[in-house]
Amino acid sequence: MSRLLATCLMFCAFAGTAFAGDVTLPDVTRTELDNGAVLLLHEKRDVPLVGAQIVIRGGAVTDPDDRAGLSSLFAAMLERGAGERDAADFAEAIDAVGGSLSTEAGLESISINAEFLSRDAGLMVELLTDMLLAPALSSAEVNKLRERRINQLRAVKDSGLQSLVHVYGKAFLFEEHPYAVAVDGSEESIAKIRQRDLLAYYRDHVGGDRLIISIVGDIDSAAMIDRLSAAFGEWRAAEAELPEIAPAAPLEGRRVLLVDTGDAAQSYFWIGNVGVAVDFAQRAELDIANTLFGGRFTSLLMNEMRTKAGLTYGARSTLTRPSLPGSIAITSFTKSETTIEAIDLALSLLAQLHETGFDEPTIQSGKNYILGHFPPRLETASQLASQFADLEAYGLSASFINEYGDAIAAADPEAVRAIIGDVYPNLDNLVFVVLGNAELIRDDIAKYGPITELSITEPRFRP
Amino acid sequence: MALFAELRRRNVLKVALLYAVTSWLIVWFVGAIQSTKHVPVWTETFALFVLAIGFPVALLFAWTYEITPAGLKKAADVDQTQSIVYKTGQKLNAAVLVLGVLGVLAVFGQRLLPKFEFILPGIPEGDAPVSVTAPADIRSLTLDNGLKIIVWPDHDIPNVVMYNFVRAGARNEYPGITGLSHYFEHMMFLGSGDPEPGAFDRIMEDAGGSNNAYTTSDITVYQDWFPLAAIETIFAIEAERHKNLKLLPEVVESERAVVYSERRASIDDNNFWKLAEQVVATAYIAHPYQFTVIGWPSDIESWTLEDLENFHRTYYAPNNRTVVVTGDVTPGEVFKLADKHFASLPAQDPPPPVRTVEPEQLGERRTLVEAPAQTPLLHLAFHAGSASDPDAVPMQLLLNVLAGGSSSRLHRILVENEGLAIAVGAYQDEGFDPGLAYFYLTLPSDGDPAAAERRTLEELQRIATDGVSDAELAKARNIVLADYWRGLATIDGKAAALGQYEVFHGNYEKLFDLPATVEAVTAEDMSRVAAKVFRENNMTVGVLRAPTEEEK
Repeated sequence: MSRLLATCLMFCAFAGTAFAGDVTLPDVTRTELDNGAVLLLHEKRDVPLVGAQIVIRGGAVTDPDDRAGLSSLFAAMLERGAGERDAADFAEAIDAVGGSLSTEAGLESISINAEFLSRDAGLMVELLTDMLLAPALSSAEVNKLRERRINQLRAVKDSGLQSLVHVYGKAFLFEEHPYAVAVDGSEESIAKIRQRDLLAYYRDHVGGDRLIISIVGDIDSAAMIDRLSAAFGEWRAAEAELPEIAPAAPLEGRRVLLVDTGDAAQSYFWIGNVGVAVDFAQRAELDIANTLFGGRFTSLLMNEMRTKAGLTYGARSTLTRPSLPGSIAITSFTKSETTIEAIDLALSLLAQLHETGFDEPTIQSGKNYILGHFPPRLETASQLASQFADLEAYGLSASFINEYGDAIAAADPEAVRAIIGDVYPNLDNLVFVVLGNAELIRDDIAKYGPITELSITEPRFRP
Repeated sequence: MALFAELRRRNVLKVALLYAVTSWLIVWFVGAIQSTKHVPVWTETFALFVLAIGFPVALLFAWTYEITPAGLKKAADVDQTQSIVYKTGQKLNAAVLVLGVLGVLAVFGQRLLPKFEFILPGIPEGDAPVSVTAPADIRSLTLDNGLKIIVWPDHDIPNVVMYNFVRAGARNEYPGITGLSHYFEHMMFLGSGDPEPGAFDRIMEDAGGSNNAYTTSDITVYQDWFPLAAIETIFAIEAERHKNLKLLPEVVESERAVVYSERRASIDDNNFWKLAEQVVATAYIAHPYQFTVIGWPSDIESWTLEDLENFHRTYYAPNNRTVVVTGDVTPGEVFKLADKHFASLPAQDPPPPVRTVEPEQLGERRTLVEAPAQTPLLHLAFHAGSASDPDAVPMQLLLNVLAGGSSSRLHRILVENEGLAIAVGAYQDEGFDPGLAYFYLTLPSDGDPAAAERRTLEELQRIATDGVSDAELAKARNIVLADYWRGLATIDGKAAALGQYEVFHGNYEKLFDLPATVEAVTAEDMSRVAAKVFRENNMTVGVLRAPTEEEK
């Protein structure tokens, strides 16, 4: 009898401990149409909202060499008139019901994100369908948007050096490889885009075989499947094949790009090389290593560069993981006078990462951190819709999410240490990109490697 | 052994087991009802105390007395051959079994049954939601030291959010210590200094949590996000940093440099904020809302450890704070933790009020910022109301009609039709004191700030004379309400919204009045508010552009 009680008490206590990271993707209804289009639906009724993400595989890697930003401009044009509505009517239809709808181009896909009150789900689907099947792509709107985009890039150069350092970084690292592309284009490349380029893009890179539609929320999924199947079941395929891309080779040696920002108060730097792809087998080990190196507030980079040295407000280690190896980079910023001190410190921390890695308690702390932060990324209808679509786009199964927590928990500290040598660049092979006051820092940063210089007002991101 | 055998014979062991099972059920029940409003926090401790005292009494009773067919008799007086202790023992076994099973069913039943969640009311087809009542499972408790804790359970994910609202911001500063509220926020990250500076973040992240904070002109808000399993740790370290914050001179110095780096990145190298800082400083001549939240460079360079200590003493009292907890919790457990960790913080005299009222503006104000810029910027600021001003909601709707989304008036006219701007947006301050209604435009490289200003002003004043259409009013209502629902879709958004209403509107329950308030706004309200606010004598204009050839 007392054994029964003891068992009960133990079991109850166990049931009360919700494991962090113990969150799985709900089941999704997946329907593949004859033309290859994939529909992903899930009903969720906690708030009266419905979220959708549409993915068109392709993205900036399909941009012609001299027209970087074409897929991005195309994505934006989808909001500027479709079906029976011109650009103004289209915007009015969204705002009138308090909906949100945005388009975005990425390196390997274009995505459309929408979130509407569930009572307006019908309108949402109508707008999304029109955007895909009957975009206006009118010449007047193309011309207007092109000029605005060019000015917007200039505005970012006036107010967003922290985000631009990544654009310059990838362009300088990947050089002639398609991953060098500035996804939103440059002032120079956008200026060349005409309506005929957009029409050709629509014909070549948009169609049923490239389409993924993911909708989550307070919906009737059976009715939604019927409606989407009727709309997209007969849709043509994209005329062009997706480009065959060879993986980029990591850079051997060092080189430096100095982007002169005139009298900026600080230097913004990016130090990196080629990293890993989305299907990298030891994702869990790498996520732990990167969290500890530069992915959280108490990371090695933040602790040494900000908390201890007071050199900067922020320092990070950033991984981009597309379908082929992307970039891995340290980014930070500091006042012009301490540029060398900060870059030297960042390099010594990279050396320390290689030499000593992290001890077991630190690795355990990294695991706890990742597991504790995982559930909030799967909370809302829109987050789930986007998660389903992304998995489908990269050909990954739900286990990518569902087994992630276990993989993190099970990661062997030795394997975490081993991954550092495999993935992080060593100090001899690095690309340096520094945005700052060239007059003040030019001479000193020459010690990192041969310098190429570019002014921030140049209408391109590559020398 | 003889004693043990006698204990068994007299059923003392079985009574002990029955007592334990019953106690467990009682404690569980008290815990379960503690999440309701009227059960005091100490109930569970009290129950445990009574049960503990009762235990030896029950055992002694079982040892001394025995149940016989003739009733209760002293065990020593019972004829052993007539004893029915065996039968009593069987009954006790059955009772333990029944209670045990009941207990397991109750505890598991509560876990397995659908949880009491706040399902937002459905929206009738074609109609916007007009009224919502505060969900019944939101609870609040005010400790004796004045600290109020508000809890909104939401069990979607096994995580918890804790927001700590401190009523201290840049409006509590004065020349010489501008930026101190924000700097103090940075010092709080470094924690109590025990066992070492930065321990707060390390312990937090070791436990799987993370934190951030932000400072405004009115308040400083500390945000913790963590898995449920870490809740006790988080309460402990939060209490520790509020109670025992140690300000070490070397840490003060290195953090000064960190804040300066933040200022350079977010203001000095960012044209938008560089202009906004100047416009706000120009719009006020008396009220401390004129101070830039991050602080003027001279003050960043010179504030002292003593300034920080004074600030902490004055503003970081429990009665000047509100805590909001949302996520996978019950109010009962949160109140218990709050009582355990926060009750010992002493209440203090309330901080001195901000007395200065901004005098009425007597004529247009202008500021020009010359800076390297490829695209000029134009900002227009008008004195408007505070967060709790009855005109705040009409103004919110008005700003949506004017600049909310691609179909708004200003976007359509200035960006789409006339090409005077490449982007336009608007917001209003929602603070303790009257703030600004603020418009910001980015112009094309060859743009004309004067033309864009004229056109914007024309449209603002047109609202006062011609009003808004029914369609525009309906659209603005829908945008505000949809944003409202989106905000409540996450535990983070819930915590932010509850705190915002508690702090600026005096009661979190007012959050749930917003849909009805929005519905009650009329087109006349909007014209009246436009006429009152969008006057040239009430306006501050800021332009940022590159210096001309002569100016260089």
